[in-house]
Amino acid sequence: MKNFLHHFFLPHIKNNYRPKLLQHKVLFVLTLFFFSSGFLMHYVRNNYPAVLGTFSDISNQQLLILTNEKRQESGLGPLSLNQTLSQAAANKATDMFSKDYWAHIAPDGTTPWVFIKSSGYNYVYAGENLARGYSSAPDVVSAWMASSEHRKNMLSSNYSDVGFSVSTGKLSGEDTVLVVEMLGSTYLASAPVAKEENKPAQEVVTADKPVAAQEKLVLLPTLTPTPLPTQAPQVNTLGVQKDNSLNKLATINNGSVGSVKPLVNGLSLSLVTARGVVSLIIFILILDMVIIERKKIVRFVGHNLDHVFFFALMFFILLILARGVII
Amino acid sequence: MYKKFKKHLTYYLSLILVLSLGFILIFISSPNIIMQSAILLLTVFFYVLWGTLHHHLNHELTAKIMIEYVLIGLLGTSIIFFFIMGGLI
Repeated sequence: MKNFLHHFFLPHIKNNYRPKLLQHKVLFVLTLFFFSSGFLMHYVRNNYPAVLGTFSDISNQQLLILTNEKRQESGLGPLSLNQTLSQAAANKATDMFSKDYWAHIAPDGTTPWVFIKSSGYNYVYAGENLARGYSSAPDVVSAWMASSEHRKNMLSSNYSDVGFSVSTGKLSGEDTVLVVEMLGSTYLASAPVAKEENKPAQEVVTADKPVAAQEKLVLLPTLTPTPLPTQAPQVNTLGVQKDNSLNKLATINNGSVGSVKPLVNGLSLSLVTARGVVSLIIFILILDMVIIERKKIVRFVGHNLDHVFFFALMFFILLILARGVII
Repeated sequence: MYKKFKKHLTYYLSLILVLSLGFILIFISSPNIIMQSAILLLTVFFYVLWGTLHHHLNHELTAKIMIEYVLIGLLGTSIIFFFIMGGLI
């Protein structure tokens, strides 16, 4: 075993002063292995999602706790998990998957506020944060907190309610975990004295600039007193999709129902393998370079330093591809 | 190692520049996976071209060295391909 490792990873006379791992045959076999494994994993993921699939452990409850922790640290009151806003978030996620877009405003011009209103949430203030490609709730909340616009949304005193949707589906051909956070406050919530009375409703004045993830004042009070519209009856938003055709496009987790945890998480497996191999190759290249330099052996091979730079680039590309994105 | 780096300073700096450019473009085009893949292929192509061209200019280019650059480029591509196919799309 020791001899094998020595032969495979270190330059010495028996391998012609070039580790077996860096010799053409092995490089070729490794290349074939990764190309064919990629195809194989893709096939298994598509045909046996219970074995190999995309899954995230993000739950509504975790997101709520973490968000409220951040608010508490800033001296703000906690947000309440609102089922109507969660339904709006789930509808938004389904819309994004079905129309295949990654934006606050749909290609057909549908704004987030349409989803909130159609769910029956009569807001005074409303906001939306989006995240994709994250595998844990702390990562999502940290990413939002690191962005001034998203942070402003999360730490706004204008909001009293929040709704979340965590869904998996294909976005631009990519299997992704999508997190939608809808924040809002109703007139009643923002003016507690009005709770017992039929207070004036609000006239809709949409902000001109549809800036993503920014806190939006979308309603302004009017002088005309009109009765508050009745709230739409609440439906169970946790993991329920009414439209069966949309169900095929995405799986709404919402932290509890509707998600099947695969035996192996394809994303984690491929990422750990790819990072591991790239790191190992970089290590072997540096080791080879140092040993050959010290022994002053003359070889006619490519510059190891070139390959180190190249594989370092591959490592960073893996980091970019695996990282989550927020808007 | 340092001597070699100093000897081929222009080459290494230009290589770092090409690779950094590839990295920046891939970063900017996130999360457009198709665009990222296209930039990756282009970067790999330039890497192989740069390496072989450098050895050619130094009169030390052999078929073996050229194959090495091609194989290293292909291996890097295959690892990224493995990650994209296995975990992303």
